[in-house]
Amino acid sequence: MEGVSAPTPVELERPDVDDVVQPDLPWITIVWNDPVNLMSYVSYVFQQYFGYPKPKAEKLMMQVHRDGKAVVSSGVREEMERDVQAMHGYGLWATLEKSDA
Amino acid sequence: MRESGFVRGRRGRVLGLFSPLEAELLRSLVSQVVELVRDQSPEKSASADPLESMLEMDGPLTTPDDPVLARLLPDAYADDEAAGEFRRYTERTLRDQKAQQGRQVIQDLEEAGLPTEVDPGGELIELDLAADRSQAWLRCLTDVRLALATRLGVEEDDEEYWDGLPEDDPRAYLHDVYDWLGYVQETLVHALS
Repeated sequence: MEGVSAPTPVELERPDVDDVVQPDLPWITIVWNDPVNLMSYVSYVFQQYFGYPKPKAEKLMMQVHRDGKAVVSSGVREEMERDVQAMHGYGLWATLEKSDA
Repeated sequence: MRESGFVRGRRGRVLGLFSPLEAELLRSLVSQVVELVRDQSPEKSASADPLESMLEMDGPLTTPDDPVLARLLPDAYADDEAAGEFRRYTERTLRDQKAQQGRQVIQDLEEAGLPTEVDPGGELIELDLAADRSQAWLRCLTDVRLALATRLGVEEDDEEYWDGLPEDDPRAYLHDVYDWLGYVQETLVHALS
């Protein structure tokens, strides 16, 4: 995490993707499996918050359940911080990191 | 008689039904979570200055010691320093959000007729929730389940363990409550889907 800037306040607007400077990309939001959250709820959150269609939300939910984690979104760091904070608001266990890709 | 829990209402609304004792149990559990996220107010970080205080950027830098709070307010980064920075800017907002939705749930129960002193033989508590309120309920039920599960030490596929506990073990009762909350939340997700 060296050399990265401090988190920007989450109130910032989502940047227009076309304006994003390439070196800032990509960061990823990871949702981790937990023994508590219902599968139906996790799928609901992915549909509700990310606006994913049900099949995609279900696929990601199953990936979290089976593999222990899934990448649920990617983009600039500020955007991913906002997604992670939203997931914490829903009670999902989420982190962000710089993508290896 | 309709079972406890939620069903779809009209125009995006959700209808809930609970016995007086169930409603009282919910109020009690939700109050505890509200107290937990509010009472252990985050310590100010050493670098706090008046401007940051005003802008509410002087939150805590470390993960809460209480395992329930650590689960409700998890680290956003694997790296401690980055996690601390993120926490400093966001934890207070998340705590406020969780306390607020808990208070809304309690308010909904009381407005639906849950008295201060519950009467087990009293009227059923009927809720008629608008979309924003049902979202508060959904998140709040999650927080209460996370809190209970963390205290109990719930793990993946451990049903046999809980089923095998003697009936007089207090954890057996709490786990039944946890299961019931899962059922209630399942009805709410279904009513909203």
